[in-house]
Parts: sequence; C-alpha cells; structure tokens
Amino acid sequence: MRIIIVGAGEVGFHIASRLSLENKDVVVIDMDPAAVARVSENIDVEVIVGSGSSPVVLEEAGIKEAEILLAVTDSDETNLVACLMADTISSATKKLARIRQKDYDAYHQIFHDSPPHIDTVINPEIEVVRTIERFMGVPGAVDVGEFADGRLKFVGIYLDKGARLAGLRLSELPRKIGNKVLVAAVVRNERLIIPGGDDRIYPGDLIYFISEEGGLARILKAFDKEFNPLKRAFIVGGGRLGLRLAKSLEQKSIYTKLIEKAPARCSELAEQMNKVVVIKGDGSDQGLLVEENIQDMDVVITLTDDEETNILVSLLAKRMGAKKTITRLSKFSYFPLMSSIGLEQVVSPRLSAIDTILQYIRRGKVLSARTISDEQAEVWEAEALETSDIVGRPLRETDMPNGALVIGIIHGEEILIPSGESVIQPHDRIILFAKRQVISKLEKILTVKLEFF
Amino acid sequence: MRWRVVFYMVGILVFFLGLIMIFPLLYAWYFNDASFGSLLQSTVVTIFIGAALYTALRTGPLDYISQREGMAIVAIGWTAVGLFAAMPFYLCGIFDTFVNAFFESVSGFTTTGASVMTDIEAVPRGILLWRSLIQWLGGMGIIVLSVAILPFLGVGGMQLFKAEVPSPVPDKLKPRVSDTAKTLWKVYALISLVELLLLLVGGMGFFDALCHTFTTMPTGGFSPKNLSIAHYGSLYFDIVIMVFMLLAGVNFSLHFQMLKGKPLAFWRDSECRFYLLVIAVLIVLVSFNVYGQVYQSIGSALRHGAFQVISILTTTGYATADFNQWPAMSKLILLLCMFIGASAGSTGGGMKLMRIMCCFKYCYKELFNLVHPHAVAPVKIGGKTVSDAVIGSILGFLALYMGLFGLCSVLLAGLGVDFTTAFSAVAASIGNIGPGLGLVGPIGNYAGIPDPGKWLLIWCMLLGRLEIYTVIIFLAPVFWKK
Repeated sequence: MRIIIVGAGEVGFHIASRLSLENKDVVVIDMDPAAVARVSENIDVEVIVGSGSSPVVLEEAGIKEAEILLAVTDSDETNLVACLMADTISSATKKLARIRQKDYDAYHQIFHDSPPHIDTVINPEIEVVRTIERFMGVPGAVDVGEFADGRLKFVGIYLDKGARLAGLRLSELPRKIGNKVLVAAVVRNERLIIPGGDDRIYPGDLIYFISEEGGLARILKAFDKEFNPLKRAFIVGGGRLGLRLAKSLEQKSIYTKLIEKAPARCSELAEQMNKVVVIKGDGSDQGLLVEENIQDMDVVITLTDDEETNILVSLLAKRMGAKKTITRLSKFSYFPLMSSIGLEQVVSPRLSAIDTILQYIRRGKVLSARTISDEQAEVWEAEALETSDIVGRPLRETDMPNGALVIGIIHGEEILIPSGESVIQPHDRIILFAKRQVISKLEKILTVKLEFF
Repeated sequence: MRWRVVFYMVGILVFFLGLIMIFPLLYAWYFNDASFGSLLQSTVVTIFIGAALYTALRTGPLDYISQREGMAIVAIGWTAVGLFAAMPFYLCGIFDTFVNAFFESVSGFTTTGASVMTDIEAVPRGILLWRSLIQWLGGMGIIVLSVAILPFLGVGGMQLFKAEVPSPVPDKLKPRVSDTAKTLWKVYALISLVELLLLLVGGMGFFDALCHTFTTMPTGGFSPKNLSIAHYGSLYFDIVIMVFMLLAGVNFSLHFQMLKGKPLAFWRDSECRFYLLVIAVLIVLVSFNVYGQVYQSIGSALRHGAFQVISILTTTGYATADFNQWPAMSKLILLLCMFIGASAGSTGGGMKLMRIMCCFKYCYKELFNLVHPHAVAPVKIGGKTVSDAVIGSILGFLALYMGLFGLCSVLLAGLGVDFTTAFSAVAASIGNIGPGLGLVGPIGNYAGIPDPGKWLLIWCMLLGRLEIYTVIIFLAPVFWKK
C-alpha cells in the first residue's frame, strides 16, 4: 500500500514512522530540505523535496499508484490545493487533509461531495476539545477512549502511592471492586506489559482497563479517585482551542473563566460569548490567579500556543490548589516527562490528528482506532467478519498473536467483557487491544482466515 | 555505542557467509575436488562461530541502529567476513602465510581482483569457485543482501545500507530500503544470468563461464586462468565481457528503470552520458597510441585498447594484453582511469564519475564567479542543483582519497617496493581495480609485495570499497568519545 504524506512536520513525521514500521510504502513530501532530511535519516521511507501542492511533485511521488494522500502541512491552503491536484490527477486516491481554520468548519461536507473530494477533513482542535471533555468526565484518567457509542470506556489511570489496590493480584481485582473490569495493559517504567491473572499491580503503574460506562464510578472509587461533578473551569489561553472549548463548556452550563493576554483578542472573545468570564491578563501572574480564586477551580486547562508556558502555569495552578489540570502539549519528547512532574492529563492536537488519520487508514476493517502510551499499542473497534479466523469458537482456541487481546464484545445491544470461553459471533463488534509489533498480523486476521495466505 | 548489537549483527553476517560457503562445498563434494576437506572445515567453523555470536548476544527486538553503530557493523562485518572467507584459501595449503589468504579473500570481497596466487590454474576448482563467488557477493554488497533477505532489520537496515552504499546523492528505488535492496539484487542477478548464457553460447566451459560471470558483474576481475581473458584469445568473449563490464559500471538504478520499460534511461542520465563519453574518448586516445607501436593493425589496436580502458575504468581488472609494455601515454591514461572509476551506484570502485563531474563543475563555477562576482551560479547535475553540503562532502572525499593514496604509496615504497609498483599498487587497491603497473602488472601479481605491505593494501582495498569514511572513522578520536 502506497501512502503519500504531504508535510514533514510533527504529524507527518509521526504518521510516517508509524506506517513504515507496518511495512507500508510511504513517500513524504516537504518544501523544507531540513525537515525532509530529518525524515530520511530516521525513517525508512522515500522522501521528496518539493511542494506537495505541485502536480509534478505529486506525479513523481507516484500519486497514481497511491491509495491514500495525507495533506498535513501547517497551511490549510497548501493542504487543500494538494488534495485538489491529487483529485485531478488520480481520483481513485483517498484524500485526508488537516484543515484548522474555523471558517472552513461548515464546508467540510462540501469538500467531501464536490472537488477536491476530501474523504476526511481532520480538524484536530475539534478532537482535542472532545478529549478534554472526556478527561473532565473521568477524574484521574490520563487516557479515555470511548467505544460502542460511549457505552464502553477504555481508561488509563495511575495507581497512586498508598492506594488500596496496590500489590493486588489482577485475578482478585473484580471481586475487590465488585464490578466487571478487564485490565488490558500495565505501563511500568515506560514499558508496556500485557499482564496475566497472577501479576500484581504496584503504585506508579499506569493501568489501562476497559469497563462499562455504568460501572466506571465504582472502579474509580476503588482506585481512590474522587468523582465530583465539575462546576467551575478555568481556561488559560484564548486561541482557537480556548475559544472552542469555552463555547462548548458554556453550553453545558459550566461556570468558565478564560484568561487571555492580548487585549484585542479579549474583546473578540467577550463579544462571542455571554456567560464565560473573559479576563485580560497573564496566566502566569500569581496575583491574578489568587484574585480569580484559582484554588476553588475544579479544573484548570492551559491551552496557550507556548507549551513551556502551559506546563509552568499548570504546575503553578496545581500548587495553588486547583484540583485538576489539563495541559496542552505539542512536543512528543516531553510526553514521558509529564507524569513524573505530576501533570498526568495532557492533550495534544497533533496526537489527536494522528489518531484520526490512523483510524482512517485502518478503516474497512476497523471502525475506530486510538493509540495509547506513547504509541506502544492501539485499541481498535472492529467488526468481526464471517470469514475471520476468530469467529465461532472460544477465544482461547483462536490464533490471536501474542500481544493482542479481545477486550470487549458487543453483540447487538449486549456488551460483554470476554473471558477465554467467550465466543465471537459473526458481525459482532469487538474491541481489540494490540501491541504495535502485532498490528499488521492482526489486520490480516480480521479480514480472512489465515489459510488463505 | 552498543558493542553488543554490533557484534550480534556481525554474528549474523558470519553465519550468513557460512551458509553461502555450502555452495562451493557441494560443488567440491560432487566433483570430488581436492578442496573438499578445507571447505568443509571452513563451513563448519564459520557457521558455528556465527551462530554462537548470534545466540550469545541476542537481545530483545532491535528498535534502531544508530549511524555510528551502522558504520561499525559494516566496517567490522566486512573485516570479519574477509577473515572467515580466507579460511578455505589457508586450509587448502596454497598459501604458506595467513596474510596471503586474507589478502586474496579481501581482494575478492572488495571486488579488487588483485591476486597473490602465482599459478591459478593449479589451484583446486572448489577454491576458485569460492574466490569468484565472494567477488559476486561483494559486488552488490553482502550487507545489502542481508538487508534484502532479513526482514527484521527495518529501520536499522537503512543505517547499514547507507554505510555500505555511500554514494554522494543516494537514491532509493523503492520507498522501503529492504525493497530497494531486493530490487538491486534482482537486477544484478538477472544481468549476471544473461552474461552467463551468452558466455555459454560462445562455447566457454560451464565452470569458466560461471567464474567469469561472478567476477564481471561486480567489476571484480578474478579469473580462473593465469592469463585472464587473454587465455581464450576470442573476439566474441572479449566483446561479451566488454559489454557486461560497461553495464556493471552504470548506476544500477538506471538498469532498473530500463527494465521497467524506459529504454532511454541511460541517455537521459547526465552521469551515464559522461561515462560513455569518457570511455569513448579514452579508447580513441589509447588505440591511437598503441597503433603502430604495439599492434600493427587498427582492428587489434582498437580491440585491445578498448578492452583495457573499459576494464580499468570500470575497475574490473581483466586483461587481454600486457599493458605494462605499452607506451607511456597509454600507461598514464590507464593509471588515471584507476582514479576516475565507474558511476555512482554501480559495482565499480574508484572516485566515481559523479564526484569528478561535480568537482569539475564546481571549479568552473569558481572561474565563472571570478568574472561575474555577483552571478548566482549553482552547480547543477542533470538539471538539479547540487547543494553546498553535498559539494563540500564530495570535495572532502576527493581530498581524503588523494591524501590517503599519497600516504599509503609513500609507506609502501618505504617497505622497499619500487616506484612504479608502489604508486600503482596503492592506486589499484584503493580503486578496487586489481592489476597495476610494474611488478603488479596484468601479467605479474601481488605475491612479491612484502607482508606488511600486503596488510597495508588490504586496508586500502577496504577503504576503497566502503568509500573511505566508514573505514577511516575508526581512526578518528571523536568516534570513540562517548
């Protein structure tokens, strides 16, 4: 499968490195020779220096044989033109474009129906706002995924020091909590382990589990995370993201304060929103934060464009008594540091964009996909086809590759957290957890019986 | 720097070599050849040591190989492979010292074709087959072969590939490096097969045809005959081998394009045009020079002139004539050919035409800018601008090449070797040609070089094959700093 990526920025780079590991033929195009050099030195893909919106460059990249074109440069205009060119030269190629300006929001469907026929418009900001809202709903979680229209939740949570569950065997967990729960993975010292029933969990572990929506509160309680309804939110940074989030919170009647440095932007913001309190000032000004009662806030969300500021303001807010912080980050190299400085809930527009793109690339077999824990693994929602090898017999007898697990079965209206005896029926929807190494194997298993290969 | 990873990879390469050794072993067993015992011992030892390194040092999945590790794996790997491939030569008793066997084996792997065997036709055929086979492996590169075959190398394979195939402007034929390596080997094997068939059609014996095919395509130059191609004295063989030497000196990505149905690929590539032009001009000059002085007919002057020019410029090193006896101008032209070498991305050695071209164009640009100080005149190859960084690395390469050539020839002369021999032996070793002038001419061989001189030349051959940086980096203090 040939995939052309226009734009070798952070998103392009990461998508390229993911796909090249899965043995796909990837071509990366960028204008900046330095960005291209970074790709060609680190990833096993073909690179072209040139403009991705140029038909000549696209032809050179082999657009005619390409299945998918990803336009993920920083410029919406370049992305649109690249898709338009691709549509003209090779209409069979699927096109994904990252388009961020709000003005285009209403036109996503039009871009799909008429030229440039963009199959999926990725607006990472919409995704990020959704992620923040999910985070708000599950206190303490560092990662929340929703499957089966939100009825199943896949949650990653840190086990605190002195937690009651510390040292417990996983097989004892359901009895202790009194609810059905399946632990899919444990991340210990940045390494992802798929545990067995005899393994124990320890403080500092990041635990990924799946649970039904209704039982989540009890599980969180067992993990010593308080479940308080959210009433007051404080947003630092009134950029596109801040505005989008504030508007959404306003609709949910959550009392929201939004702090922004630039006076002109503040008046713009105040004009667009009625209930949200817009404050002109610097988010790192301690006096201002005290004045605005930061200690009483249920959640502080730092969304400025400068990630260092976000980190510092979040730390400051935490120190001053804010119950919870959500921090926007862009640099992937900072991610592993965040839990050690106590900022566990992190959002990243780039990571969201990557998730959306992966979900699209896996489409056909996979309805939804998300990466977890520094891209060490993925969780998929997929339909079990009749021809697939995993259908019609107990799970323990199927040839699931090592490192892949079925963690949920949705049979009609019924939701099942499976054991070794569970049987998947054709057309059930299944939730799968897979380590990065076995993803291509799993893709094959989902489509046809292995004998066909 | 993870030495464990380096030696683990070297272990894989050695194991691989052991498996390949089975091929001449089967030949020797089937034909009851005198070399069977030594080949059997070598195969068993090589496979055993390779497997031992591999299992003892195996760690978890290899996520990446750093550039430094890549260089170390390639440089140490080539040395190790040379050592193990020398075992059959040593054990079968044709050499009394190990350095001779090692010289022969490195000369094979680096596609140099310089021999220390005094009577080649007396050597058991199993050994001769092995000698030719390692040239064939070394031509496209044993590491490229393992990248093509071993699926788990992935990203790491790219670093290895870069360290073994360091061309000034690398081009990937396919998005993924393992596919590129596979394609290169397929093209290489396909052209070799065609040559084999053509030689068989002309009536060469199967064994000789196989050995010559194995040493033409990598521009190696080992021949199972004492007199090299001159042994046959056949115009047909001369022409077939000339054509395939020419093909082997062309960038393999052009062969690939041609096989994909672009017949004009050769002509469209500016380096390839330059290559053909240089060859044509030099053939005319040399033939004109030898006509009347050595050969009395135009036909034979042209035939032998062309063969020698192509053989030396593509760095193959076959001979149909003893050019040691030719007039000075022809000898000097052939000596210059040793430095020029074949195209980038071919199996040939030398400095590579691409670099020479860039260097000339850069010099012209400097002159141009003297006249038009404000002109923007980038160096262009095939219509594309060559970046200053690439120009810089090319000039650096040429300077290092000449510097090392100077240093090594002084050292070799210091060991008591005469002027012409020392000069041309180093040029022929760094350039991976084989025969030089004087004692090491096409009729002579390297047996007369003193042992320390052989070690020096072994190092020169590796320098040339891995394009200097990968080998010389071990001498740089920065390489060893943490």
